[in-house]
Amino acid sequence: MSPDRSRAEGTAAATPAAVRERLDRVTDPELDTSIVELDYIEDIRITADADADGDAVFVAFTLPTAWCSPAFAWMMAGDARDAVASLPGVAEVTVELREHMHEREINRGINEGLPFGEAFPDADGDVAPVRAELDRKARIARQHDATGALLDAGLTHDQIADLAVEAVRVDEATDGTVPVWLRDGAVAVAVDAEPLVRYREKAAATGLLDDEHPELFRTPEGDPFDGEAFELVRRRTRLAGVNMGGQGTVCDALNDARHADDRPPLSTFSD
Amino acid sequence: MYVTDEGEELFVIDSHLHLWDASEENVTHEGGEQFIQCFYDYHTGFTPEEKQWSLEEYRKYGADRMAQDLFGNAAVDMGIFQPTYLSDFYADGFNTIEDNAELAERYPERFVLNGRFDPRDGEAGMRELERQKEEYEIQGVKLYTAEWNGDSKGWRLDSQESFEFLEKCSELGIENIHPHKGPTIRPLNRDAFDVADVDDAATSFPELNFVVEHVGLPRLDDFCWIAAQEPNVYGGLAVAAPLAVHRPRKFGEIMGELLFWLGEDRLLFGSDYALWNPDWLVETFMDAELTDEQKDEYGVEFGVDTKRKILGENAAELYDIDIEAKKEEFRSDPLTQEFGLADHYAGGTSATPADD
Repeated sequence: MSPDRSRAEGTAAATPAAVRERLDRVTDPELDTSIVELDYIEDIRITADADADGDAVFVAFTLPTAWCSPAFAWMMAGDARDAVASLPGVAEVTVELREHMHEREINRGINEGLPFGEAFPDADGDVAPVRAELDRKARIARQHDATGALLDAGLTHDQIADLAVEAVRVDEATDGTVPVWLRDGAVAVAVDAEPLVRYREKAAATGLLDDEHPELFRTPEGDPFDGEAFELVRRRTRLAGVNMGGQGTVCDALNDARHADDRPPLSTFSD
Repeated sequence: MYVTDEGEELFVIDSHLHLWDASEENVTHEGGEQFIQCFYDYHTGFTPEEKQWSLEEYRKYGADRMAQDLFGNAAVDMGIFQPTYLSDFYADGFNTIEDNAELAERYPERFVLNGRFDPRDGEAGMRELERQKEEYEIQGVKLYTAEWNGDSKGWRLDSQESFEFLEKCSELGIENIHPHKGPTIRPLNRDAFDVADVDDAATSFPELNFVVEHVGLPRLDDFCWIAAQEPNVYGGLAVAAPLAVHRPRKFGEIMGELLFWLGEDRLLFGSDYALWNPDWLVETFMDAELTDEQKDEYGVEFGVDTKRKILGENAAELYDIDIEAKKEEFRSDPLTQEFGLADHYAGGTSATPADD
């Protein structure tokens, strides 16, 4: 099936909207917010190629500071490429990070599929531990929203602290709520689904769903806690969320400054 | 001094000042150019439009302009210089103790001059620290753990080499350690501004005070948790304070967290001049409030009494500054004469305001 025909049939080939939808799944790992929502995407171009087995998609994006951590930029560029490549009918994806101190290394590395260490021979270490740490923080911040939803639904501190992974049935969501089973499965309470689903996603990414503890919620260090410690843990999870939003605020203002009409050119340095 | 509508005076010690040179002649590395441009993004991003500088004036402003900005409208009573060397980027350094001394020595009663060390400089660095103590009687050091130095792209406060320097600080009576733990301006993936290394250093040197500049942003969570457990860890509000300009709600949240975890005795105001200018920032800070919801959520106050501590009293405590004696002295010191501030310091003749 050629891409042209599939587009004519309205099925597989890429549209800008479909590309954006995939990119929307990519987060700025430090902010735990979609790169589409953050307005990082500058350009999406789709070229249909009848000879190839699918479309070629080009995505350009810019980050709030030229000094934005290369590891974060690398993650976003790589995730964007993977997300778009997963679209049916896409054969080739090129991402272009713009106006970044390391755009050359990152663009070459991501588009040629190099490992981070090869694109940045000077870097000490890989991006994996950086990603793990950011996932850990996102998990903590999301716990605040999830436990807030459970408090709203009337659960006690002890009940939330003791809640087992399998008591929260995210796969049985209806009308925006999920059943949460209490008292050894004697009663189910309907709880707002989104914060629980989002929390589980990061709990899974940080390995908490299949470790030696049955409890769904943990301290920032990953340990179970009891009802008495609930308040302190909840304050720490609040703090993680405030921190994340704070960084978002800074990035947002930098982004505005960077794109102001009267902004001088980025660099005038020459040897 | 800031004077409230009720006539209450708040003595202002700006705990984070620079006198830098990022003129094109001084830039020797692409990193130096990127660095000043990144600073400029921060400046324009968090400065009211009518107060913004041009990039050209921002590169190098000089001692006269700085004195005018700090004292011209009496926004600040005293200031603490925090050097930033970046010798790999700038021919004569970006903001060295010698640069800072130019203004500090002109008005010694108005400034505290801090030094710095870099443990990667080894024995030569140790001698340099001794020289700074001897020549400038430094009481504190600013530490920049993300600084490049030859092949190295950063260092840790809890390394053995760093501990040797902290030991030396303790020996020389340099009690105030100001590690910069702030927003990312460093390339590559090693998180050299990560605040985690403060923990072990603060535990190991209980006789030193660790003023974490920029309150660890973007790692406010790690910073607050460390500070909640280490009584000798303080927070410097440079970068955090300007959030009050365009993002007052977020500023309130951050202040709420800081006051909740550290309390009002361990926070220090700083403008980060010339990143931002105290001639408007002090007022912005004074006008900032927590919402009722935030006061409930955090159970803290952010009124005049709290602000008085943050704006001056807490820094005075760390640097042995007698505020009342200073106010007396400033009625007629050379700077007051030069800037015509005698009336400003003439009010409140009694040291204790009358009770209402």
